Amino acid sequence: MIDEDVHARVLALAHAFRSGELVRLRVEDDDLGVAMTRLAANPAPSATAPPLAPAPAQPVVYDIVTAEIVGIVQFARPAVIEGAVLESDRELAYVEALGIRNPVRSKGPGKIATVFVTEGEPVEYGQPLFAIDRHV
Amino acid sequence: MFRKVLIANRGEIALRINRACHELGVKTVAIFSEPDRTSLAVRHADEAFCVGPGPVTRSYLNIPNIVSTALITGCDAVHPGYGFLAENARFAEICADHGLTFIGPAPDVIRNMGDKATARRVMHEAGVLTTPGSDIVDTPEAALAVAREIGFPILLKATAGGGGKGMREVAGPDDLVAAFNQAQNEAEASFKDGRLYVEKLIVKPRHIEIQILGDNFGEIVHLGERDCSVQKPSHQKLVEETPAPHLSEAARERLYAMAISAARTVGYTNAGTLEFLVSGDDVYFMEMNTRIQVEHPVTEMVYGVDLVKEQIRIAAGEPLGFTQDDIHPFGHAIECRINAEDAAHNFAPAAGLIGRVEFPGGPGVRVDTHVASGIMIPPYYDSMIAKIIAVGRTREGALNRMERALDETHIEGIKTTVDICGAIVRDPDFRHGGIAVDWLPKVFMPKYQPAPVAAESAA
Repeated sequence: MIDEDVHARVLALAHAFRSGELVRLRVEDDDLGVAMTRLAANPAPSATAPPLAPAPAQPVVYDIVTAEIVGIVQFARPAVIEGAVLESDRELAYVEALGIRNPVRSKGPGKIATVFVTEGEPVEYGQPLFAIDRHV
Repeated sequence: MFRKVLIANRGEIALRINRACHELGVKTVAIFSEPDRTSLAVRHADEAFCVGPGPVTRSYLNIPNIVSTALITGCDAVHPGYGFLAENARFAEICADHGLTFIGPAPDVIRNMGDKATARRVMHEAGVLTTPGSDIVDTPEAALAVAREIGFPILLKATAGGGGKGMREVAGPDDLVAAFNQAQNEAEASFKDGRLYVEKLIVKPRHIEIQILGDNFGEIVHLGERDCSVQKPSHQKLVEETPAPHLSEAARERLYAMAISAARTVGYTNAGTLEFLVSGDDVYFMEMNTRIQVEHPVTEMVYGVDLVKEQIRIAAGEPLGFTQDDIHPFGHAIECRINAEDAAHNFAPAAGLIGRVEFPGGPGVRVDTHVASGIMIPPYYDSMIAKIIAVGRTREGALNRMERALDETHIEGIKTTVDICGAIVRDPDFRHGGIAVDWLPKVFMPKYQPAPVAAESAA
């Protein structure tokens, strides 16, 4: 049961909270107990918001090569290992499905940062197979 | 019995198949699209493989990835559910080519029954009455010639059709050309097959269908009828029940006899449904669905038979284990389809994030669903999110139970058909029973006021 007074007070508080910069608000008295929290995904559209922190050193972003076909992974020969540098585009593996070997290519040069799978492993659609560092 | 079954579907039917397999001691492999990764069907299965992104052509219709999943996980059978690949004869053949048992009838039966014009011809030869109509008509002029012979109004229907797609009612010659082109374009877009045929439009028919089961040893039984006359303007079913109220014994016996005769003629195995239009004592065959149907639970509740388990047992080569004389229906069952749809706006799909969900329970209520609080309804798939089934000793008892079950149902965050189903079950026409397929769009919808249930009961 919310009487009209309480309803009006909550609305007023909500309005003040939304237009301000508070992240959390808690009000308690004899008639009312209310807590409000601003969700991170919904920051205040405030003109006085502090400028963004300076961007950190650019993180290494890897290209992730994923499986398009459900099947069994077989490495191409010679098998690539982590740390291997690819001079150009090459075949890294096959996904064997229904008797067909579907090639997985590196799509350009780079360094193999991670090999996520093992020889003979069943893989699903979208499963990461290799991470490639293109900044070498 | 099979060791492991791949479930080539999603949503509530994937869960339903998973349950049947586990009760039979059979392991399961679920397939899923990227948006379905956290779905209940995936969590219930023994193993699960992603086969593609959201759009169905790249995931739930991706035959190479689905068959490959079955092979690398060591499955020996595939259950297609309904929709997607369930009535795809080529898929059934591909499964067989890879040593997988397709849980359904033989590929040539699927092909013949799936082609509606062929099905009508085969049924005609089996002595089953079909609505007056034609074979394929290539042009509006050919359709007009047929229409003049059998008389307007007519229906233009896609031979590859289903779910009301590629179907148009034509009242007279003036509307025919436009309707022909629309139906053809829709059929082309939906089924990649724009071929149409003409059927006489039976005025005020009811949609009544017969469930059959056939094993690999020639035993065929029927499990009664389902009345699916409550249909949306798109001809999709919304409420189904068994037995059909006010169906004459003459019509009922004729339906059962025709269904058995038709199934024998085509050498039918596994679960199937023959759909009829019924007008008084006249019954006309419409089409045969070579799969489990959405509304199968009402039959299960009244006949005490687990249709999905029977499908699996039959496909595994087991005999039916009962004859027609062993089957004794008891009571009445009704199902309401809960769809993520806005009933007030022509049942427009209303995909989105579901908030709090409460489903009903208690005596005589069954809920088949894959949704729970906080899950996302992806836009790529069918809008059905739950089926609520109520049983009773009498029709009135079942309907009262359904009213109560729908009152207990709360789904926040998206528009659903919960309220409209409640209004239908309370409606005096529906309560009386025996309404025709045009009742919902023509009679009920004009008077339907979307309103909170509380306000309705106070009125």
